[in-house]
Amino acid sequence: MQQAIPCNGGRTWFAQTAASNGVVHMAVNDRPSVDGPSTSSSSSDAGGGGGGGGMVRLVAENPVLVVGRRGCCMCHVVKRLLLGLGVNPAVFEVAEDAEAALVAELAEIAAAAGGVQQQVLFPAVFIGGRLVGGLDRLMAVHISGDLVPILKEAGALWL
Amino acid sequence: MMELYLGYLEDNFYRFKPSPNSMSSASAQFATSRRIGIYEPNRQISMWGDSFKADSSQNTGASTIVEADAKHDNRLGDIPLESPGPSKKYDQEANKPADKVLRRLAQNREAARKSRLRKKAYVQQLESSRLKLSQLEQELEHAKQQGVYVGGHLGDSSLGLSGTVNSGVAAFEMEYGHWVEEQNRQTGELRAALQAHVSDIELRMLVESGMSHYDNLFHIKAIAAKSDVFYLMSGMWKTPAERFFLWIGGFRPSELLKVLSPQLEPLTEQQVVAVCNLQQSSQQAEDALSQGMDKLQQTLAETLTSDPLGASGVATYMGQMANAMGKLEGLVNFVNQADHLRQQTLQQMYKILTTRQAARGLLVLGDYFQRLRALSSLWTARPHEPA
Repeated sequence: MQQAIPCNGGRTWFAQTAASNGVVHMAVNDRPSVDGPSTSSSSSDAGGGGGGGGMVRLVAENPVLVVGRRGCCMCHVVKRLLLGLGVNPAVFEVAEDAEAALVAELAEIAAAAGGVQQQVLFPAVFIGGRLVGGLDRLMAVHISGDLVPILKEAGALWL
Repeated sequence: MMELYLGYLEDNFYRFKPSPNSMSSASAQFATSRRIGIYEPNRQISMWGDSFKADSSQNTGASTIVEADAKHDNRLGDIPLESPGPSKKYDQEANKPADKVLRRLAQNREAARKSRLRKKAYVQQLESSRLKLSQLEQELEHAKQQGVYVGGHLGDSSLGLSGTVNSGVAAFEMEYGHWVEEQNRQTGELRAALQAHVSDIELRMLVESGMSHYDNLFHIKAIAAKSDVFYLMSGMWKTPAERFFLWIGGFRPSELLKVLSPQLEPLTEQQVVAVCNLQQSSQQAEDALSQGMDKLQQTLAETLTSDPLGASGVATYMGQMANAMGKLEGLVNFVNQADHLRQQTLQQMYKILTTRQAARGLLVLGDYFQRLRALSSLWTARPHEPA
């Protein structure tokens, strides 16, 4: 079930240092074409769409990436679950108006990476560059005991 | 003294020889007693008593009876009433009118009998209705104590809204009732099968039924969540003791596993590890969902708190409300996710266990819930000081 991760090597992982709360949020500097202002000190918007390369890079560079709506509580659930497992997920919060475009982009990325064809719903979880799915998919994978191995393989967990 | 009972006069009429004076009063008596007898038995007996006392002075007797006459409805108006006047004629022509009188009296007797039967039927119907009513009242009381939601909703809000909500809720309650019955039946079947040491193939069928029965539960819950998520979350569809263990509109998977595991021994080492892992995973998922719920509470509270003086204006208020409405709808997701977790946990147990162990597991669960429901009944019925 697990495949080799298309990773750029260890260097990019250390480029994002863990914030004090353990969650890595996209800093504005990483994204050259971000127009929207940060709503809080630790999160950023995809105000006017991130530009094609941005998302691909995010997905590829982060062992775990959670993409969700701003202020969504389900996104919070995903975060807490991953944190509880000892993972530092990268979180990308999207504003309502940019959602549709982002969904399309993510669907492309997911298709390119192969794996199970599924609709992109928020919150969307990428592990090792591949789309795992939404919250219920994540739960199912966790309950069946497959989540931790995938995380380890993606380099998100060391134990 | 002779024994007086309903219909005494009628039955013993042949004893009373028709004589000039007593005929009139007897027949008048008869007609009246018929009517009194049907509607006021107590009065009848006292009237009879009066009329027998008045035998010697028949005028008094007759007048008493006639008095009583006037007070009653003429329900049997088709039956002619003997009056003192015309009967005097019969003295003169003894035989022919005697036949007529006899016939008429026989008719009266018949009518009286029919009337008595009708009365009896009516009273019996009243009695059974009364019984049914008290039964229904008892059920309602019982249901109220158990906190049946439908009853509680009747006093609420606008009729229109509660109409639609009620139908979703009512539908769920009915289906859930059936679900519990079927659950109990299946539990009994499993118990019997395990005691009888049936083959694995048969057990497998029972286990599959059991698993898909749980799927049914989650299915009807999903529909109910769309209709009224707060109803599901309240747990009012469950019995009190079950409600005590409520977590996001249902049972907590890790709790269930704790109930289950000790009853499944002997397990292989591999199974023990797998069950342990499952319990841990379940706990982690539950924690994540609980924290999500806390976050939802927090954001909802934040959405609603602001400027109580209303300085921001109506538009802001409306905006806040719309925002809050959106948040509330998120609850449906939570219930769905919690149910999904429950389902996944059960499925995973099914994978870990052998058929026989799974059968035993389902039996343990079914039995456990039965006991909780029984406990609830006992609790509801316990004698205690009314508040």
